[in-house]
Amino acid sequence: MKQKHPAVGLLYNPATPDLIKHAGSLVEYLAAMPDRLWFDFGPKAEGRRFHRTLGAIEELKRVAHGRVLSGHGIGMSLPSAIPLDEEFVAAVATMSQDLGGFRWYSEHLSVFLTPRGSVPNAQAGLGLPVVYDEETFGIVASKLRRVREALGCPLLLENGSFFTPVPDMEMSEPEFLNRLHAEGHCRTLLDLHNVYVCWRNGGPSLSEYIEALNGDVVGEIHLGGGDDFAGFYMDSHSSLTPPEVWQAAFDFAPRFKQLRAITFEFQETYYERIGSKALIGELERMHELAAACEVEVEAAYAR
Amino acid sequence: MLADFQQALADMTASPRLCTEARFDPDLLKRKYELTEREWLRLVAIVQHQGMECACIVYRANRLAPLALNIPKTCKALGSELRAVVSEFWDKFPETNVHFFVETDRFCRFLKAKMAEGWTFAPGVEPALRLESAAVAAALQESYTEQGAEA
Repeated sequence: MKQKHPAVGLLYNPATPDLIKHAGSLVEYLAAMPDRLWFDFGPKAEGRRFHRTLGAIEELKRVAHGRVLSGHGIGMSLPSAIPLDEEFVAAVATMSQDLGGFRWYSEHLSVFLTPRGSVPNAQAGLGLPVVYDEETFGIVASKLRRVREALGCPLLLENGSFFTPVPDMEMSEPEFLNRLHAEGHCRTLLDLHNVYVCWRNGGPSLSEYIEALNGDVVGEIHLGGGDDFAGFYMDSHSSLTPPEVWQAAFDFAPRFKQLRAITFEFQETYYERIGSKALIGELERMHELAAACEVEVEAAYAR
Repeated sequence: MLADFQQALADMTASPRLCTEARFDPDLLKRKYELTEREWLRLVAIVQHQGMECACIVYRANRLAPLALNIPKTCKALGSELRAVVSEFWDKFPETNVHFFVETDRFCRFLKAKMAEGWTFAPGVEPALRLESAAVAAALQESYTEQGAEA
């Protein structure tokens, strides 16, 4: 299938099958999180480390049938100054095979695993900001090479949402992402809502950030909404996409000639509160956006 | 070095107390971690940034999530004591276990141990904990079988 427009879809969660019952034709693409399809007992687990949730995997297979499927993870924590978790990567590769092969795989450009934790696989509790310098670039680039080799599909890295900027860095985040692409390591999953979150909390504006990004690096866009808390704005995936994010999407996405998917993220616990009617409206608008984006086919993404 | 920088950032995010100490005594970070001058200056700027408080709040909210999802009645019964109890739990176990049932089971055991030591909580805590900790233990057991729901 040759793609002229990016696919429109959802980050898969347990509420997705119900939404698809109401709006199946609007959902062309699903991003599945392997981390949510197994229980990870950690690197020092007695016996097997990963115990899959077979019921959930079967349901995903049923819903993903006839749709583009990618993988989207948080567990590799690529910028962490620790060796790559090879068992985890192998588990993602097995999951991909089991689901018929991810068209591409994305991870977050955030520190989730702490280097000197007191337990194996120690979690930081939230995505921590990354120092964009030569050392981190080397760490991320070498891990991406290994992950790509193991998964056999293109990779994307997603910009994070942070509350505390790291001062005095050698590169900006867009420069870091541009360089990863220029050196052939990965493309970018541009989470427009994350850029919005950073801006609301004192970071660069959407246009400043996106203008600094080479348009050809963007392989996927994330949309979503959050909420205000204690004077800050959170990436809680609890609401519809804010108007400023839509504006940026329509202003900039047509420039992204390698854009393969436009994805809406919501947290399933907010499904009833947001409502399927509102989510259908969101999907319809995403199709309008997709129609405005003429993309070029690249062999690695097309099937 | 980068590993210590990342660990310091994680530790500060997990501990509002460490943030306060580092704000008053920035050299504490040098004593506690192996940092270059540049890394130390970055951490000092981060801990003084107003967003650090928000990062600490989000850390606590994320750590509370498995407990609120799996033992809601116990959390409700703990009422105003919840804050102090979870703070003590997180001090003892600073890293989240990615497996929600392991994390919740660990908290249930922690709470039971406190009760065994003679701590008294509101009257509704013990029955709620007995009921919900049994359900969590069963769900944890099921998570070994590959038949459970989505993680």
